[in-house]
Amino acid sequence: MAKPQVEPPEEAAVRQSVAKAEQSLYASVLAIRDRHELERLGIAFYDAETTLQWSYNADAMFHAASTMKLAVLLAVFRQHTRGELALEEPVHVRNKFLSIHDRKPYMLDINRDTEGEVFERLGRTMSVEQLAYHMITSSSNFATNLLVDVVGVPVIQTALDELKIEGIKVLRGVEDQAAFEAGLNNEVTANGLLKLLRLVEEGKAYGEEASARMREILLDQRFKSGIPAGLPQAARVAHKSGNISTVHHDAGIVYLEGRKPYVLVILTQFPSETGARTAVADVSRDIYECLAGMNGG
Amino acid sequence: MAEIESESGLKIVDAFDLDPELRALLRPGELVEGIRGQYHHLPRYFYEIPSREAAREIRVTPHFGLNEFLLVDLKEAARVRAFPRYVPCAIRIAAFYLERLREATGAPVHLAVNGGYRSPAHKLSVAATPHMWGTAADVYKIGTVVLRDRASIETYNRVIEDLTDDLYVMPYGHEIGKADDHIHVDLGYVTVVPREISEDRLEGPQDKPRFAFEERRRGDRRGWPREPLPEVLPAAAHAGSTRSESQK
Repeated sequence: MAKPQVEPPEEAAVRQSVAKAEQSLYASVLAIRDRHELERLGIAFYDAETTLQWSYNADAMFHAASTMKLAVLLAVFRQHTRGELALEEPVHVRNKFLSIHDRKPYMLDINRDTEGEVFERLGRTMSVEQLAYHMITSSSNFATNLLVDVVGVPVIQTALDELKIEGIKVLRGVEDQAAFEAGLNNEVTANGLLKLLRLVEEGKAYGEEASARMREILLDQRFKSGIPAGLPQAARVAHKSGNISTVHHDAGIVYLEGRKPYVLVILTQFPSETGARTAVADVSRDIYECLAGMNGG
Repeated sequence: MAEIESESGLKIVDAFDLDPELRALLRPGELVEGIRGQYHHLPRYFYEIPSREAAREIRVTPHFGLNEFLLVDLKEAARVRAFPRYVPCAIRIAAFYLERLREATGAPVHLAVNGGYRSPAHKLSVAATPHMWGTAADVYKIGTVVLRDRASIETYNRVIEDLTDDLYVMPYGHEIGKADDHIHVDLGYVTVVPREISEDRLEGPQDKPRFAFEERRRGDRRGWPREPLPEVLPAAAHAGSTRSESQK
């Protein structure tokens, strides 16, 4: 009779530590869900330092809100890498788009505060790269729709398919009210966004150069109430948030001094009367503390 | 190819003398169907603008620079956007009327991107739009007024209608054939034969030369570099490139 294999004491300690961390995270996430009265919560997480991977409800589809802009960014760099779109190409800044539902034209209700520089260029041109920058850093809906027109929805989906990213469905640009009312929405899962960001971090999203440029843009994100709000000041986060009336998401790569980065996606959905709270920041803080605990820090 | 210079100092070219790629994009003299089923010949004579600086410096009227009619984005074919660029000679007539509009309003008249000349290869060149003749202009701003509502568009449409019967203005509306974020004015399908041009040279479009040597002779006449010809007829290759551009 074969002797039962004995696990080395160090490995057993690591395994126990990971199991304990996972249990602790799970309990803490449930507490956050209840405390913030969330209708739904989806989390996906991968740590390049420990290779720890953890998720909660990570294959559930959520309204994408502005996280779909990550897929548009990916498609822009796909076209660029293939030589089909130069980043300096001029694009007419025009507030007129066609609904995917009835092909009728619609205009964005432009918020001058958030659209700032893009709005200022109305009637003139901006480069593809400038639009990509504003689409991510100030979450410009205007820039997003212009880029969706430039690359086309089928190319966005092709980019996702080529990189075998499941769980991101892009049908249209933003503020297409007719499509929204017809139930035609962009959707994401936590795992889908995690895969996309892991490829960007690992330099596998259309090559190292394109991935590096995408990371640079994501690092300039101006909205920091999500993942960064749960982290120490010194942390750098390459991320994209997404907010509409009943969802608040954030998906990003977290860079901390002295360790490899981790990728974190937090999707939340709440009743319209509740309003957005700090659930995303709370989950981000819990995960950071969990990792710090595992690292003995 | 004889160089012809207009009174403005700009070189005038017969688009049949341009290289095959440009010719396939500009389609000189070709018949194009309009939205009501009528046909029009595309312009054949173009001004050649050698550089971006020249486009900026050349004034077609006291208040309009040539560059304003060349503002396009990536919807225009890349080859057409590259200098030297070509714009139909009728552009001067469009500029003349826009100058009158400027005088009438007393304010700067701003042309939108893609609102001046569009080649037939431009993605917005649907049917026979007069933009392909250089005789149309999309104005998105007059003075400080951004034209994006019924009141401002209809107000300035009336100003234009009072100004002249020569200009057509597109009514306000969201459907095709109407405008809701600019004023569209055009002179219709005006083609200009500059006085420097002699019309005894009656060469027309030759989409399908019977023999390859015809294209070779044409190239020799115009000083094109002699390259070994592919086995396929060059004209067939042109037709192919035209199709692929329009599919972009």
